Amino acid sequence: MIDLFLHAAILTTTPILLAAIGGLVNRIGGLVNLGLESMMLAGALVAVEVSSAASSAALAIVAAGAIGAVVGLTMSLVITRLRANEIIVGLGFTVAVAGLVRYLLKSLYGVSGTYNPPGVVMLPRLDIPFLDGVPIVGAILSRQDALTWFAWAMVPAVAFALTRTRWGLRLRATGSAEATVRAVGLAPLRIRDISTLFAGAMAGLAGAYLSIGIVGLFNEGITGGRGFIALAAFYFGRMSPARTALGALLFGFFDAAQIRLQGRGVPAELVQTLPYVIVIVVLTGLGVADWRAARERTL
Amino acid sequence: MMNARWSVYLVRSATTAAPFALAIAIGAVVLAATGHEPLAVYQLMVEEAFGGERRIAATLTAATPLLLTGLAAAVAFRAGIFNVGAEGCFYLGGMAAAVVGYASPNWPSTLLIPLALAASGLVGGAWLLGPGVLRARLGVDEVVTTLMLNFIAVDLTSWLVNGPLLARGSANSATPQIVSNAELPRLLPPSTLHLGFVLSLSLVVAYGFWGRFSVEGFRSRLVGLSARFSRAVGIDPLRIFVGVMVASGVIGGLAGGIHVLGLVHRFVAGFSPGYGFTGVAIALLARNSAFGVALAAILFGALSSAGANIQLFSNVPLEIVEILQGAVMIFAVAQFGFGWAGHRLGP
Repeated sequence: MIDLFLHAAILTTTPILLAAIGGLVNRIGGLVNLGLESMMLAGALVAVEVSSAASSAALAIVAAGAIGAVVGLTMSLVITRLRANEIIVGLGFTVAVAGLVRYLLKSLYGVSGTYNPPGVVMLPRLDIPFLDGVPIVGAILSRQDALTWFAWAMVPAVAFALTRTRWGLRLRATGSAEATVRAVGLAPLRIRDISTLFAGAMAGLAGAYLSIGIVGLFNEGITGGRGFIALAAFYFGRMSPARTALGALLFGFFDAAQIRLQGRGVPAELVQTLPYVIVIVVLTGLGVADWRAARERTL
Repeated sequence: MMNARWSVYLVRSATTAAPFALAIAIGAVVLAATGHEPLAVYQLMVEEAFGGERRIAATLTAATPLLLTGLAAAVAFRAGIFNVGAEGCFYLGGMAAAVVGYASPNWPSTLLIPLALAASGLVGGAWLLGPGVLRARLGVDEVVTTLMLNFIAVDLTSWLVNGPLLARGSANSATPQIVSNAELPRLLPPSTLHLGFVLSLSLVVAYGFWGRFSVEGFRSRLVGLSARFSRAVGIDPLRIFVGVMVASGVIGGLAGGIHVLGLVHRFVAGFSPGYGFTGVAIALLARNSAFGVALAAILFGALSSAGANIQLFSNVPLEIVEILQGAVMIFAVAQFGFGWAGHRLGP
């Protein structure tokens, strides 16, 4: 029982975590990405299509990451080069890509809503034989797929890259001191574009995970607002990968709980609001802390 | 001198037309790539939106909720408050009007309609009081809080309509029908154009006068232009922040209420196809002017009313409209960010 729940919770955490890590890097580079949902949706569709056409899950993942990166870069260019507001452009991408995906489903495949081509190869689950029977640890670690392992490996990797590498320093400087970056001869807009490209790729992988990792088909509602939950996760995490992962894990647990609670008298819709409520609470808490600090300074 | 003035007008109309032109170009690429004749499709769309009294009435019906969600966004934007929470207010206001509309005894319309609309405005205003106060007192970024509140409102109303308020014997998630006296009268039967259009348009006009001729309208614009300057001349920007946020919520709630009383006659889960977000695009395109809001709302209304019909009369999927709307939104803020280009979310 608890094993099943834990396993499900890790499963539902993965897409949120992938997208949240991307969004975090993007935000550190100075762009709040509200288009993650659209990149996820594009990744989910392309993963199903490639997996079915090429019979290869690996190829499908690469293609999903690539399409997410393309959507991300397009969005980034509009924001950085045409100096457009990131919030509206992000929401606009969410609307336009959702429309485009449904439009293409109808006009290319003649289906509305669900696309289920034959021969979709699912992501293989990796068994760890000696852990399989172990309660809790086995449920968490064994029979997860490569993308889940990748998502969790990205947490320390991104933390390391941000604090210990030249690239990380440049990225952080782009987000917090754009003029300085320009003054030392680097191109902050290009760095920001690359961070959005990365976020798009991560969101594309998250989409692939939803379509060929969990269900094995594409549905227009497959992302179900997870791009925005990822936003909630990286807001929860502020600028830290570890805290962002914690947020993603928390929201993944809510997601799994919400699925299990359906039909048991606990309103699933109310559980779904929790990530959003928590973000408002966290932001309020930060606001109060800032206000206290400011008051102490003036005293 | 004359030339400078004309060039200002020229640049203005070009910057307003450019997003539409770009969106139409992108739509044309999508249409052509999927084997349709873009010009023919667009011609059909224009005909379906404006060809004849019946179709114009349908377009104006579709524009009604957008007039108010656009207005809700504009009221806040001109004071420098980036409120994207109209979508949530639309849901809650619609829910409030539906509850008043079906739970009340069959009182006369003159009593019932104002009561239901007051309830929807009240709920909408109360919903955004929190983000307004948080922004004013603690500097909490209103974009994130209002965006999150949208999702909360959608889930909350969908819970209400699936549980406590579900119509008995109804399979889909909807409240019972409102009583007939709570319905806004139709203007041009058999078309669905209802009194709500006139109400919404008059609110937009009133906003135009308010912004131009009232003291508060002047103050809020001043705060939007420079909060520091307004503080220096003795206007309290924090009070204005809370005020416009609540006003914006009231208008967003009214939009939902009018949509229920005028068109849907009940609250249904998934009530809005993103009217609140389209409203944000409308306010940006209109640069917060009342005339611009009315014009942009009618254009977006034309898009959605034409979209429903072109799917019937040609084999172009309805979603071409969403692609166009999204593209207009994206380019509405491109290159000419109207002062918000530099807006960044806080920590």
